[in-house]
Amino acid sequence: MYVAQVIINGIMLGNVYALLGVGMSMILGIVKLTNLAHGEFIVLGAYLSTVLAPLLGIHPILTLLITVPLMFLLGYLLQYLLIGRAMKKGNEPALLVTFGLSVILQDGMLMFFLADSQHISLPNGMGTIQLGSLEISTLHLMLFAISLVTMAALTVFLKYTYTGKAIRATADDADVAALSGVNIGRIYAIAMGVALASAAVAGLCVGMKWTYDPSAGSSYLLIAFVVVVIGGMGSIPGTLVAGILFGLAQVIGGASYGLPISYVLLLIVLIVRPKGLFGK
Amino acid sequence: MSDALLRVENLHAGYGDFVAVDAVNLAVEKGEIVALIGINGAGKTTLMHTVAGLHKPTAGNVFFKGEDITALPADKIVQKGLSLVPQGGRCFQRMSVQDNLLMGSYVRSARKNAKQTLERVYELFPDLAQMKQRPAGNLSGGQRQMVAIGRALMAAPACMIFDEISLGLAPAVINDIYRKIARINEEEHTSIILIEQDIRRAQKVSDTFCIMLKGKIVLSGKSSEIDSETLKKAYFGI
Amino acid sequence: MEKRRLNNGKIKVLDSLPMLIVCIAVILALYLVCFTQIASTNAMRYMIQIFLYIAMAEMWNLLSGFTGMTSLGQQLYIGLAGYSVAVATTMLHLSLGLGMAMGIGVSILVSLVLSLLLFRMEGMYYSIATWVVAEIFEKLFLNWKFVGQGSGMTIRVEPYPRIHSICIISLTICVCAIVVVYLLLRTKVGLGLNAMRDDVGAASAVGVNVFRHKLLVCVIAAAFTAAAASIFLVNKGIVYPESGFSISWTVSLIFIVVVGGSGTIGGPIVGSVIYVFLQEILARFPGWSNIILGVITILTILFLPKGIVGTLQQKLHFDIFSAKRFSYSKRK
Repeated sequence: MYVAQVIINGIMLGNVYALLGVGMSMILGIVKLTNLAHGEFIVLGAYLSTVLAPLLGIHPILTLLITVPLMFLLGYLLQYLLIGRAMKKGNEPALLVTFGLSVILQDGMLMFFLADSQHISLPNGMGTIQLGSLEISTLHLMLFAISLVTMAALTVFLKYTYTGKAIRATADDADVAALSGVNIGRIYAIAMGVALASAAVAGLCVGMKWTYDPSAGSSYLLIAFVVVVIGGMGSIPGTLVAGILFGLAQVIGGASYGLPISYVLLLIVLIVRPKGLFGK
Repeated sequence: MSDALLRVENLHAGYGDFVAVDAVNLAVEKGEIVALIGINGAGKTTLMHTVAGLHKPTAGNVFFKGEDITALPADKIVQKGLSLVPQGGRCFQRMSVQDNLLMGSYVRSARKNAKQTLERVYELFPDLAQMKQRPAGNLSGGQRQMVAIGRALMAAPACMIFDEISLGLAPAVINDIYRKIARINEEEHTSIILIEQDIRRAQKVSDTFCIMLKGKIVLSGKSSEIDSETLKKAYFGI
Repeated sequence: MEKRRLNNGKIKVLDSLPMLIVCIAVILALYLVCFTQIASTNAMRYMIQIFLYIAMAEMWNLLSGFTGMTSLGQQLYIGLAGYSVAVATTMLHLSLGLGMAMGIGVSILVSLVLSLLLFRMEGMYYSIATWVVAEIFEKLFLNWKFVGQGSGMTIRVEPYPRIHSICIISLTICVCAIVVVYLLLRTKVGLGLNAMRDDVGAASAVGVNVFRHKLLVCVIAAAFTAAAASIFLVNKGIVYPESGFSISWTVSLIFIVVVGGSGTIGGPIVGSVIYVFLQEILARFPGWSNIILGVITILTILFLPKGIVGTLQQKLHFDIFSAKRFSYSKRK
């Protein structure tokens, strides 16, 4: 029974990790860019929800109605006005621009929100659900649901809409996509917008599950990167599997060895398969 | 400007210091099949990539339906009705055949009729109808070429450019594809530009021809009025 | 066409004898200033900072601008050097020189071991991996009792060197760093490095031993970064995980190289001077410093991608400290 409990906890936690990685994975797979600011965007999403929920007097989950469009817009504009231009000058300048963004965001949030740890508190205390001898906290169940809905929404978007198809086509072969009438710059901007929207959701989950502070971005980035490297870029099912694997490793490793395990896991994967487990 | 569907005027293009397309003039009438013939490195692909907006010209103009499209990016040019089928049957490898074709109707003007056009493409290439859900990356070279052609057709273009579609394919497959191109030209009245290295085939299927050598068009005229010996000499530059 | 010809027929400033003499004269003059102590203590403090940043930035530039290995983890060697010096001087009561030697030794050793692991990755993967490694070391030192965990270690050098001798040491490190980079790039190795930056596959296909080249560059970069950092941290008197292994070091180095001019030897020099003075101004706005540096870096990448020195060289058709081994022949 203990094993079953561990597996359940790992899967629940793993879904949150997958959520951290999915935006990064999209950007790597579609725009072919490592967004070093992804962790800071997640933290930004967490802050937005933390501030908005009590301000508007709504349930934290409802803040997504505001944070998701807001972050989408931010991503769209950043890619269109900034990162896209840097990409024309090469891979390295683009990488450094996202690095610059991460530094700016981190210190900006530090000045605005100060260094204190934050947490998104939920209105009514969360209990646990008893399933036979298994215990599942309602918080975990909620996170699990949010993550699954997000992944499903992304899958539907990518599979069944013209824009989603154009995004996948651009990831495959940008030249041919342009020859089919796709405005590549716009598609990249939309992809970045979607990635940041996913960061807004991830931020909410992170904020409800753990505490965070302005400098937490780099550890989220690393978790996201581990998930992407294991799951392959641009693949949503791969990201989910990788997130769950990672979640299991964390639960088995325990609280004190959580982060070190993630780093070591990443290095091992990178050493064995320099381009990722599912990479070409 | 003039009644030619596509008109290229004094076009120059190149890579760094290298001039690949040197003062090219070209006109394609509506419903016409033009063969652009030349040896490897003559500048055919660069010329057509420049026309289609994949490559920036250094000088000169391209007019399509009387409109100057020189400075437009590739996606805008497709919207005007000029489609290029790139070399080697390039497809979206990880997408299904059907999704590949549907990407062709991404252009707004084509979306409304996407369903009917898709039916027509399947009718033209019955093989593709059998493998709608297969990823394009798993297809044979000839099938991928058909997907690429079908994808271009989905945009309902007024002019199509085929870049060396016979490259690396078996003769029977090539014959088949050429028959389809002739059908497209007949039924839709689509103007067609064929980039070819096979002089005989090009002469046989086209109305007019241009021979390119070292970035320049060295000979052009009606395909039916030229003898193959002159054609061959111009092709090799002797 | 006329203009292009001019571009290729660059005037190579350091290749002419008079310019070489000027350079040596400048270096000698700087040494003289240090020895005679005519400069005020304050001026010397600025000079020390500039010299040390130049040395570290030249090394980051060697990695990123000349070899294409954009590292985000050079702070690893900065931290290692700081802790080595602290252990050597404060705990073992050794001299500063021995402490520095220890820091350099440890850094070389670590970079050799890491190279075996990290060189399988390319491009962005390499960048991230170097950062991850630095983060791992930070966490390691945070939990390591021997090095004082989170509160770190003080660095007490007995007897504490006079400021002008620190200045002389810094200048020496700086000059050595520039000369090493210059010589490295002017030999066959430099040609190989440039080829690798442009296309690793093609470089190895024409016989460049990619692994050995990368190893050489990484070890040199680790050694000089460690040397410069140990002086830096001795000046600060304390090293703790968040300072030694801080990503801010890389932020500074990226700023210096990008603003000065990536892929030029003169770039880091100009960038360092700007950085040190800018920092002085930014100190008045606590918290804003990294934000402003980040904004300037991004703007430079977008609007002046070659940096100050690179742009000047292109506009004025000259090439200070040309790293190119062969001069372009003039087109006929």
